[in-house]
Amino acid sequence: MNAILALAIKDLRLLFRDKVGFFFTFFFPLLYAVFFGAIFSGQGGGASAMKIVVVDEDSTEGSKAFIRELNESAELDVDIKNRDEATNLVRRGKRVGYVVLPQGFGKARGRVFGGDRVKIETGIDPGRSAEAGMLQGVLTKYMYQGIQDAFANPDKMRKQINESLAEVQSSEDMDPTAKATLQWFLPMMDRFLGELPKNEQSNRGWQNFDLESKDVAVQRGGPQNSYEISFPQGIIWGVMGCAAAFGISLVVERTKGTLVRLRIAPIGRMHILAGKAFACLLTTMAIPIALLLLGIIAFGIRPDSWVLLSAGIISISLCFVGIMMMLSVLGRTEQSAGGIGWAVLLVMALIGGGMVPLFIMPAWMQTVSHVSPVKWSILVMEGAIWRNFSVAEMVLPCGILIGVGLVCFIIGTKAFRWTEG
Amino acid sequence: MMRATMLQLTNVHKAFGAIVAVDGLSLSIRQGEVFGLLGPNGAGKTTTVNMAVGLLRPDQGTIELKGVGSPDQPYVRAKIGVATQALALYDDLTGEENLSFFGKLQGLSGRRLAERVGWALEFVTLSDRRRDRVKTYSGGMKRRLNLAVAVIHDPPLLLLDEPTVGVDPQSRNAIFENILALRKQGRTVVYTTHYMEEAQRLCDRVGIMDHGRLLALDTVEQLITAHGGRSILLAERTSGEVRVETDDPLAELLRLQKEGQLQRFRVERPDLERVFLHLTGRELRDA
Ligand SMILES: Nc1ncnc2c1ncn2[C@@H]1O[C@H](COP(=O)(O)OP(=O)(O)OP(=O)(O)O)[C@@H](O)[C@H]1O
Ligand SMILES: [Mg+2]
Repeated sequence: MNAILALAIKDLRLLFRDKVGFFFTFFFPLLYAVFFGAIFSGQGGGASAMKIVVVDEDSTEGSKAFIRELNESAELDVDIKNRDEATNLVRRGKRVGYVVLPQGFGKARGRVFGGDRVKIETGIDPGRSAEAGMLQGVLTKYMYQGIQDAFANPDKMRKQINESLAEVQSSEDMDPTAKATLQWFLPMMDRFLGELPKNEQSNRGWQNFDLESKDVAVQRGGPQNSYEISFPQGIIWGVMGCAAAFGISLVVERTKGTLVRLRIAPIGRMHILAGKAFACLLTTMAIPIALLLLGIIAFGIRPDSWVLLSAGIISISLCFVGIMMMLSVLGRTEQSAGGIGWAVLLVMALIGGGMVPLFIMPAWMQTVSHVSPVKWSILVMEGAIWRNFSVAEMVLPCGILIGVGLVCFIIGTKAFRWTEG
Repeated sequence: MMRATMLQLTNVHKAFGAIVAVDGLSLSIRQGEVFGLLGPNGAGKTTTVNMAVGLLRPDQGTIELKGVGSPDQPYVRAKIGVATQALALYDDLTGEENLSFFGKLQGLSGRRLAERVGWALEFVTLSDRRRDRVKTYSGGMKRRLNLAVAVIHDPPLLLLDEPTVGVDPQSRNAIFENILALRKQGRTVVYTTHYMEEAQRLCDRVGIMDHGRLLALDTVEQLITAHGGRSILLAERTSGEVRVETDDPLAELLRLQKEGQLQRFRVERPDLERVFLHLTGRELRDA
């Protein structure tokens, strides 16, 4: 048992040191949850307008449009000034804060994937931290609105995806794993967007999502807000990233020769795999717990049942530990394991509602989704958070998850290659 | 003085497809000795070491840690420390973390673990780099850390497969001293190398392998006497250079001096290199 613990701690340490692995297990899921939650959320709070100054150093169509949007918003009351005047106004307490839109802002705002980040500078009276928080929230909301517009128009979105793809392909200093993943992800997204309007009524695009989710709300008690939908999806991305990271790490142990060392150690082979599985289990449980805690504290998620939610999380973790083991036998090298692994996971996500919520998909797609563990994972989380599932209703999806995990784990351990060549 | 056997290989065979890597090898390693396993590339040294630690299963024959059992069993492996020829370290962990992790796998913990980690780092003179990630190490430093992993749990039997390749002379010297100190404490060491000086300096006995077979096994002195041939005296005289093979270089030198003015001379004593050449028809180090 000590050996398994030592193995697991080692793996966790390695995961936290691997920037790509860490990105896909924690950061990307959070981004996903917040990002899509924000896109589909309704309006913000009802406080009275905050007086701010904007410094427009970009002076492009994009930046002007953004300022217009801010000005039209209920939350803000905006003046445009140069930087010195703006600083002065804030210092004298005439305005709550200032916001600087740097050069390149307009260009960056409409873009969804890749490209350079722009940094928006805000200056605020240090005595007014409550307003600072609110200002940041409002800005974030309107920043995302640009991206929301992009989603509302799939063709524009596809054009951007293709631009991003070209950028990714020509980039030389990008991490190979991230690159390979984006090279998978972007074309798949592109194809998906290309298909979508033909199946659904065309031109409705994405903005109608809000209405759709309200329909669901009437039927089932419903989600408190869009975050109750986006967080389970984000969590699934994290859990998948985790399964991929640990599956690949098993392959790396073999190619780097450290597996030889583990085999020399006075422990059995099952200990070695158990150590990996245990680290994976801990991480796949930590991701939903961390994200849900954040969702509960900051994004208004209110689970119906803590007990069922815990049962759901455990089932999901067990399932993806099995999938991790299965992924580890799919490739011989780090590259092939990563490529094949992510391909499998992305297909699972695509058909299981990890990319686009199932209920806006056509009926045939919803039928196909039954084969994807992602679908069942999201279902158990939603069941416990807002679908008001009874214990009996939870049994089937949880059972499926655990069963899939078990089968994958057994196949994976049996097929695992212990030596190179 | 005959010492008890520590590791016994009996008629061991191992083939990879058509390649016969080890061909009927029988060998007893004695307790408390440093045993050198010499052989050209592909002789089967690594295959032998890998079988001795249970990484490979022999096709035929048996391997036994005397009085303990076969290295297939985890508790038997606990008594062995291995420095693998292929480096096996976690690049994203520090040297200390690597050692500490492998120490834990060996069942060490707490104070004892910390002590052993410090000791192993000293053993390979890496203490000053202990907190750096392994990926920032030079090749020789990685090689040294790889050796430190072998000694972390202070095992009675060490299998060191070319542990000093690419290691600079100072560190190498320190490592030799430390290995000799281990021998004094009664540890048994099997050491494979291409460096004849290492074998000559460290090893009580040397086995010379080629094509998976043991060609000779004895002390360095005995091997040289039996297979090294005679000394060679090279002398330069006003009349030209002469090269004489002889058992008694001094007598020969005196004889030459009587014959004419000697300007320079050199004696080449037979060494392991010559033993090797004689036995295998090949140089020890494939240049
Ligand atoms: N995994 C393997 N698959 C196929 N052939 C192998 C394998 N391992 C070793 N061999 C072959 O077995 C023979 C012995 O190899 P081994 O590595 O034991 O030699 P060695 O004496 O350690 O050589 P070196 O001095 O180069 O390290 C070689 O012909 C090698 O090609
Ligand atoms: Mg070798």
